[in-house]
Amino acid sequence: MSMQHDPELDDVLQDQELMHLAGLLREGRMSDPPLDDAFRSALRRQLMNRAWGMGGGGTPWWQRAFGPAGLAWAGAAAGVVLIAAVVIFNAVNPSTGGFNEVIVSSPMSDQSAVRLGQPILVKFNQPMDHPSTEAAVQITPATTVSAYSWDANTLAVLPASNGLAPNTQYQVTIGPGAKTASGQLLSAPKTITFVTQPPPSPSPTPSPSPSPTPRGVLTGQHLLANVQGGISNVLWSPDSSTVYFIGGKSALDSVPAAGGDVTVIVPDGVTSAAISQAGDQLAYIRNGKIEILTLGSATTTEVAPVPAPLVVGWAKGAVEWTTADGVYTQGAGGQVKVISLPTIGGVSTVIVISLSPDGSHLAFFQDQSLKVLDVATGNSVALGVPNAQFLGWSPDGTGVMYSGPQAVVTSDLFGKSITTLPTGAPSWSSLDEIILGSDADLWEVRPDGSGLTKLAEGTFQFPVWAPNGTAFTYFRGGALYTASAPLPPPRPTALDAAATVVNAFMQARKAGQLEKATALLDDNGKKVYSGSSPALNLLVGGDPSFSRYYLLTQEITGTQPDTAQFVVRLVFSHEKRDVSTYEETLTLVRTEGSQQFLVHNSTTGPVLTLGKGAEVVSVEVSPGIVKITFDSDLRAATVPAGVIILDSKGKQIGATPVYVSRTVSISGLDLKPGKTYKLVVLSTVQDVGGNNIAVEYDLTFVGPDASKAGDKRQSESPSPEPQASPSPTPSS
Amino acid sequence: MSDPLRDEERELVERAKRDPRQFGALYDRHFQQIYRFVYSRVREQTAAEDVTSEIFMKALKAMPRYQDTGRPFAAWLYQISVNAIADRYRTLRPSSPLEDFHDLSIAGPPLEEQAAHRDEIRRIWALVEALPVQQKTALVLKFQEDMKIEDIAVAMGKTPGAVKLLIHRGVSRLRDEADSLRPAE
Repeated sequence: MSMQHDPELDDVLQDQELMHLAGLLREGRMSDPPLDDAFRSALRRQLMNRAWGMGGGGTPWWQRAFGPAGLAWAGAAAGVVLIAAVVIFNAVNPSTGGFNEVIVSSPMSDQSAVRLGQPILVKFNQPMDHPSTEAAVQITPATTVSAYSWDANTLAVLPASNGLAPNTQYQVTIGPGAKTASGQLLSAPKTITFVTQPPPSPSPTPSPSPSPTPRGVLTGQHLLANVQGGISNVLWSPDSSTVYFIGGKSALDSVPAAGGDVTVIVPDGVTSAAISQAGDQLAYIRNGKIEILTLGSATTTEVAPVPAPLVVGWAKGAVEWTTADGVYTQGAGGQVKVISLPTIGGVSTVIVISLSPDGSHLAFFQDQSLKVLDVATGNSVALGVPNAQFLGWSPDGTGVMYSGPQAVVTSDLFGKSITTLPTGAPSWSSLDEIILGSDADLWEVRPDGSGLTKLAEGTFQFPVWAPNGTAFTYFRGGALYTASAPLPPPRPTALDAAATVVNAFMQARKAGQLEKATALLDDNGKKVYSGSSPALNLLVGGDPSFSRYYLLTQEITGTQPDTAQFVVRLVFSHEKRDVSTYEETLTLVRTEGSQQFLVHNSTTGPVLTLGKGAEVVSVEVSPGIVKITFDSDLRAATVPAGVIILDSKGKQIGATPVYVSRTVSISGLDLKPGKTYKLVVLSTVQDVGGNNIAVEYDLTFVGPDASKAGDKRQSESPSPEPQASPSPTPSS
Repeated sequence: MSDPLRDEERELVERAKRDPRQFGALYDRHFQQIYRFVYSRVREQTAAEDVTSEIFMKALKAMPRYQDTGRPFAAWLYQISVNAIADRYRTLRPSSPLEDFHDLSIAGPPLEEQAAHRDEIRRIWALVEALPVQQKTALVLKFQEDMKIEDIAVAMGKTPGAVKLLIHRGVSRLRDEADSLRPAE
């Protein structure tokens, strides 16, 4: 009997007997208490109502100030406020002339993901002289200001170029020319520093966080049949038009999915039923025999296996069944044993549970373990912890669901778990969505745990998807119902899936988690990072320190297998200031089996010193246009000759660059998938301060593959094509 | 070296402090463990729901004042829980037998041995219920909720040393009680 050792208790319980008692206490964990999911949901709603009442949703003062109406009033109001402030201030401080020290702060100071639409806020501890303070504002990188606005002692600075630049560290200095309202000069310049978030993605994907609000109304909800005494099997015809079920008295009944009269197919005694893949035959076990009903002709043939059949299914168009000792099928000369079930000491201890939809696997229980048997090889693997409960198959028979602690676990047929889902009665659809029914509500989630969405509230026991992946049956109050779920939200594109891996990889490296980072490398990736290149270290550190990273470009560059290329910029800081950077170009390949992207290759660029002219902070690549965003406002006249794209032969391509709001767009391109191109930013490009770019910047990128890259349902979803776009994930 | 889970939690807490509407994520994260803890103390579903509601309402209200002391956010929720349960105990005593709640499945030994072992565990946990409130709370937080001593100290408003003493005294008293109940051989 295992008793976990807790080192914390070593000096508390220095006695074997006390430690033994501690072990017993630890073993006696409480079983799960009864919990009403409706209570949980209701309390959440109550909390959220209270939270809304507490505020937090108001419009910030600077938004009102810079809004169209606000701007009109700003001048008049500022004058009045200024006069009032001066009058009040002079009344309060008639002789001293004010406070001794000017303290400058900002709510944005040291933040790492400042929103791009946010004005720069600078807060003073006393009233300031507005003209001299505004004139003393210096912003690095070079930024043109369109407006200043004051709210009491807080100054809001609005950049001209449509907000702040993405992925950029700003240093905002109030120079010594700033004066207080009483005329006192700043004793020394004060600087605040912050980093902005990445640019918004043009192809946002659904949030991975659960959506607690029902997404849409279920349609077509109607009663199919009143079923006295409960229901066991529910089967759908392959065309989703008919529902078969074993109801009260173990009768096998059918009912049209659109509604109508219930037809009694077999009046009683049915213990297991399965419909053929073609939908033309129904096999069921009754009185120890298998009866096969051909639906078109309504004729029945009978198989009388020995030993007695327990569960029936279909495999490759033929009926298949299990007995206590094996899996059988019907051959030309009678029953054929496909495989024997495992025994312990020659004694059968197997409890057969279910045959997979394609008949290739069998779920069974043996020696307190849930196991899956490969009928072809006889190999079996255990699923989950002892006494895990079988909950269902994926429609293609490649996945399985079973119960975990307070969860539904999805797993492949080799016992490798994919993820854990919230608890509920699950059903896995042909569109790769799992619905989870309960007495309180109905949720939908992808088998990998993403896209968790509440579909409806109410009782939805034992839901079963139709093959069309939109209709489903459920049991409520002694009756069988059907409804249709709205189309699920778009799945993450292959690019988003790869970006998630890149972010996890970089975050692990930044946190010094070598094991976690290594787990995201494939065999080649491991070689690359352990190879001879000194710059390619998984762990980067020292002084300057690795402070943040961001994704400069991201593209899908191949589809068989899915391949993505990311240029990641690693930024190094000294005493909070970004001082240098280099780029790693990561190639990710989606692996067979797990379908996970892993880092396959990496190359590194030269180390660049920051703070010397404008920097490229985002590059968005699509077949017809490339958009290059800079951290600084540029002198537009220097752009056309200074920002160019070359093809693999070094020939300049594309139309004349267009410069708007820190972004240079080069259109008229016809980038070919897999071909190499180069973006060149010449040192002739100047920021608005007249500073040239320190050294020519080159970025090699690959023509994007705009074909479908992703998973089985992408072609049916309204998701936009994969595009090269920086991720909205904060990078530090 | 930062812990991504702690960083993520810190981020959620910061967001909720700035905007109470973000509290939902913290609720989703901690509801189950707090409800489970409360239920284990009041052992009646309606009472557990009332106390759990009270805890999360108080937490939401106090969120803007929450100070990150480097301990998990859950420690603060447990602190509110311990106080709320103490208030509840003044008017309500748990009545259900403990045997319903502390259970386990033990793989390996013969069934009769498992049953005897299980009985021993139930007996010990039943004795926990008879301990003084502070000792009982410390033991429950340590052995049932699997909390670190420093976090228990936060939850109980005590020093880690005081918590260690409570655990030592509690377990020692269990040993004495168990000895006195053991039939003479």
